[in-house]
Amino acid sequence: MSTDVMDPHEPEQGRVVLEARNLVKDFRTNKRAGVFGREYFRAVDDVSLELRAGQVTALVGQSGSGKSTVGRLLAQLMPLTSGELLLNGDPVSATRGRAFIRYTGTVQMTLQDPFSSLNPLHRVSYTLGRALRIHGGPMSADEVEEWSLALLRKVELAPAERYLHRFPHELSGGERQRISFARALAAEPKVLLADEPVSMLDVTIRKGMLDLLDQLRRTEELAVLYITHDLGSARAYSAQTLVMYHGKVVERGSSEQVIDAPSHEYTRRLLAAAPNPRRRLAG
Amino acid sequence: MNLSRLVPASGKVRAGLIIAIFFVLMAVFGPMLTSYSPQASGTDLLQPPSGAHWLGTTQTGQDVFAQFVYGARVSLGVGLFAGIISQIVSVLVGVIGGYFRGLSDDLLYILTAVFLVVPGMPLLIVLTGYLPSRGMISVAFVIAITSWAGSARVLRAQTMSLRRREFVEAARATGESRTRIVFSEIMPNALPLIASGFLFSVIGAVLAEAGLSFLGLGSLTTTSWGSMLYFAQSAQAFLYGAWWWFVPPGLAIAVLGAGLALINFGIDEYSNPRLRTGKSRGRAVRTGGPQAAALSTAGAAAVASGVDSPGLASIPSEDGVNEVAGPEPSGSAAAAAQIRPIDVPGAPIIEVRNLKVDYPSIDQVVHAVDDVSITLHRGELLGLAGESGSGKSTLTNAITRLLRNPAQVTGGSITYHRAARARPGASSGADPGAAEAIDLLGLSSEELRGYRWDEIAIVFQSAMNALNAVTSVGAQFDDVLRVHRPTMPAREREALARTMLEKVGIDSDRVSAYPHELSGGMKQRVAIAIALVLEPDVIIMDEPTTALDLLIQREVLDQVMALRDEYGFAIIFTTHDLSLLLEVSDSIAVMQRGRLVEYGPALEVYAEPRHPYTQALLASLADMGALV
Amino acid sequence: MKYLLRKVMLYVFIAWAALTMNFLIPRLMPGDPVALLVERLSGRIDPAAMDAIAESYGLTDAPLHVQYWDYLTSLAAGDLGLSIGFFPVPVSEIVLGALPWTIGLVGITTVISFLIGTGLGVVLAWRRGSWTDHLLPALTFLNAVPYFWMALILVLILSVNLGWFPVSHAYEPGLVPGWDWEFISSVLYHGILPAITIILASFAGWVLSMRNMTVTVLGEDYVTMAEAKGLPKRMVLVNYAARNAILPSVTGFALSLGAVVGGSMLTEVIFNYPGVGYTLFEAVQNQDFPLMQGLFLIISLAVIAANLVADVVYVFLDPRTRQEG
Repeated sequence: MSTDVMDPHEPEQGRVVLEARNLVKDFRTNKRAGVFGREYFRAVDDVSLELRAGQVTALVGQSGSGKSTVGRLLAQLMPLTSGELLLNGDPVSATRGRAFIRYTGTVQMTLQDPFSSLNPLHRVSYTLGRALRIHGGPMSADEVEEWSLALLRKVELAPAERYLHRFPHELSGGERQRISFARALAAEPKVLLADEPVSMLDVTIRKGMLDLLDQLRRTEELAVLYITHDLGSARAYSAQTLVMYHGKVVERGSSEQVIDAPSHEYTRRLLAAAPNPRRRLAG
Repeated sequence: MNLSRLVPASGKVRAGLIIAIFFVLMAVFGPMLTSYSPQASGTDLLQPPSGAHWLGTTQTGQDVFAQFVYGARVSLGVGLFAGIISQIVSVLVGVIGGYFRGLSDDLLYILTAVFLVVPGMPLLIVLTGYLPSRGMISVAFVIAITSWAGSARVLRAQTMSLRRREFVEAARATGESRTRIVFSEIMPNALPLIASGFLFSVIGAVLAEAGLSFLGLGSLTTTSWGSMLYFAQSAQAFLYGAWWWFVPPGLAIAVLGAGLALINFGIDEYSNPRLRTGKSRGRAVRTGGPQAAALSTAGAAAVASGVDSPGLASIPSEDGVNEVAGPEPSGSAAAAAQIRPIDVPGAPIIEVRNLKVDYPSIDQVVHAVDDVSITLHRGELLGLAGESGSGKSTLTNAITRLLRNPAQVTGGSITYHRAARARPGASSGADPGAAEAIDLLGLSSEELRGYRWDEIAIVFQSAMNALNAVTSVGAQFDDVLRVHRPTMPAREREALARTMLEKVGIDSDRVSAYPHELSGGMKQRVAIAIALVLEPDVIIMDEPTTALDLLIQREVLDQVMALRDEYGFAIIFTTHDLSLLLEVSDSIAVMQRGRLVEYGPALEVYAEPRHPYTQALLASLADMGALV
Repeated sequence: MKYLLRKVMLYVFIAWAALTMNFLIPRLMPGDPVALLVERLSGRIDPAAMDAIAESYGLTDAPLHVQYWDYLTSLAAGDLGLSIGFFPVPVSEIVLGALPWTIGLVGITTVISFLIGTGLGVVLAWRRGSWTDHLLPALTFLNAVPYFWMALILVLILSVNLGWFPVSHAYEPGLVPGWDWEFISSVLYHGILPAITIILASFAGWVLSMRNMTVTVLGEDYVTMAEAKGLPKRMVLVNYAARNAILPSVTGFALSLGAVVGGSMLTEVIFNYPGVGYTLFEAVQNQDFPLMQGLFLIISLAVIAANLVADVVYVFLDPRTRQEG
């Protein structure tokens, strides 16, 4: 563990900002059931979790486990089949309209693929400017530029001026992912849902990205949901870890406990399958 | 958009624009060039072109040139008017249906299908047949009604695919309204299609107007290119050989249509870089050696997907060398390569010496592989590590001679030591036991074919894309065997395919399955089984497990190792996952920006990385919790 | 087979939509064309014909749904009404007389043009970057040439100037149609020029779309793998590239077929070829509304049937559509 990262496993518990109770999400499949009905596929099955201010919670699972769907449900990008979301203790349901925009002022989400999560036809200034205008009310062009530069600095893109008028294709994967973070921060959210923020990035820049996430959680008091398939980084960067399998949370607890002493068979199998040269040294 | 991008680079587009502008100018200013009225009869009947009548006269003595330029106004006018209306309808139907889905989409889809399938021209004829008075506006309107469906269907498909793109979801998550998402996120990206749909609508409308007028169903009091042809036909102009009467309008329609289609070529190439014309073969040009004609199929100059980097002459995306250096730590390229001797039991089988592969681009040459030397021994598992843009795929593609344009081998050699094996079709007379050294880069495409798969097979990164979706698994074994083992009877070929499937843990009955019936992990196993079917000495595995889940990756990996023990082939294993390589490989080569930075026995590299880049890689792996 | 079933249902719906359109167009067209026609024709034709027109166009006082029901029931009985131009010949008789000519000419030429076009498209894609790229502008031009103009030029050169082919008609006027060699050879001889016209005017479109698809497909991993397998070029091209690239061409058949049918109809007019297109042209000139309707209906149904055939072929070509569930 490198020394510049503050230990994420701080014992103190932040306030619960976003809570999910018994989330269920069914997707309609193409298979027919009966004459008019369709078969449903349960992508998320009774998932409950709490996101606390200033704390990273990791949601670990393989593809198809439902972890990204949980992220989208928390972001209210799709309606729940059943279950409940509580923001600061109050139930919310806002998948569309003004209520949804207000919700996104508190809960923001970034997506996995840095190459497709920015519109290739818009400059960075447009992308950030839109986010600022949605959540900051009317602003003059100068104010937007000033705020945009501040956002770029926040995600450590320097010199910020150099990035403002670039197109996505002129940026590297890591830079694009930072722009995505900056866009999310434009809303000054309390919750950041980061869906696989580093899985599409090169190994050497993953650490920088996760360090940034860790720093943001501290300076912005963000409640972060770190969605990943990688148990190792979950242990290094999150306080709590939930392991998902087939739509269900099969194991949860402090990250150390889950990864160092897994209690569920599936977690154990995942850990055993991870490539590890030590295995070879051991015999 | 900067301005320079708006100037068409392609000659085809330029020619098309010139044609289109020419006709527009002619329609606007042409009538000023003639003193004749298009309808006025004269005394010179059916005269060939002369100074007085530039394009001759009709049977009633009308001036053909005057008709032609006035007709251009009407034909272009109808084309533009109908094109615009038809495109507005397609955009509304296509984009709205594609974005909002649900019931409205289902209804719009069926409506589109009706107008798509019911043939336009007969409908047009019937509709105009009922029109009591036919002005050009109503004709244009009817043309628009019958022609929007094709473009709407294409736009709907495009919108549906754009809708699934992450930037649309990201915009929603930011809090953008749906209207704004449709108009400023989706529509700009569909613009090439809208533009191309518009061009085709205009062509279609000009043709439809000409056809209707030609049948006498247009407005016969208005002169258009079509009505000129109608009168020419009814006067049987072609029987009199009065070519000046009916050649100009038809030629004009064809040239205008071709011009618009040429502009559309540019739009197609812009949105699908693979279509850009240019040399399709990657070349292996070596100093001193004969130029080897590489067998190569597609070779898109730029494989960068669609709208991702429009208009950019970029380097194949896997080796995205054009990434701008960011604030990310990149290690030090200046440090000397750290090469340690490899001590494995087998004899060398592939020797790469000082290989250089360049990607020339407009203003610079990128050295994708720069002076790399590695040696693969029999039975060795050589791990090739590196991030995107490191040149590892370019290196393996050079070895397999699958380099795509514009990649060029500019130096170095690749030698393959072929074991003298008794096999049908193999060169005889080789000293048994001794290996025959083959200059891989010097092989002709025919020689190369014999050596492919028999000696070196490949497992591609994504079996999903590497297996042919329209033929059965068995057929994909069978063609290899038919080509490389021509004497093997069909029954044996099938039996062999079944055996190979069982070797990778798949039920042999799946030999008749199609790829889409298999899971991702099974497809990758099938790909491995196909690679093994000729028992090659070398298998190149290009990120074979990257697309797989952890648990399946482990199973596939174990399978590969077991098969290697059984068959004894050597492997070049490419991946960006260094921890995986450290676990499985005998030796490791680490590449960075086209250069080999560290090369040596895997355990030594792991225990004591010497190059700063390798050290940085291992350190970040440790930080990420991967090496705990 | 669910895929096919869905398609069949869609086509049944489209056929119904075409029937209904056919019913509604004369009744809803602005300016009341039927009333105008009746006015113009009154006194000039047989009163019995007048009654027939009036009835089939809703000049009766019956409400629309009753008319619609009558329309459907008489259609079901194969009754398309009586022609005005050729009164009192039933429309169905004229349509059935014209149909074989069009199916013979357009059907055969469309298949030939599709085969030539897609084949050439694959070859051009394979030879990308060589001199063959210079054929593209020429093909683009050919694709934009109006069918009827192409016909005029060919008639001018090959018939009028060179005298190789007859100028018009489907067979020597005066011959009695029958299954004898004289008649058949005359039909073939007369069919050559219209066929060349349709093929020349339509094949370029198939070439261009097939070339584009093949070029796109050639960049796919499975083609690279086929090449890496050491398969001969031909095999890579046919079994891997073309086999996948042809799929969109088959689904896009509907898009192109409409244009071919429309163009072929105009070609028939030029050659006085007694097919559906020429007959429709005559009907429009005579304002023979019942015949127009009948022809439109039969053309629509034929195109719908052709699309259904294309979809059946597609199911054979793409195993993914054969998946159950």
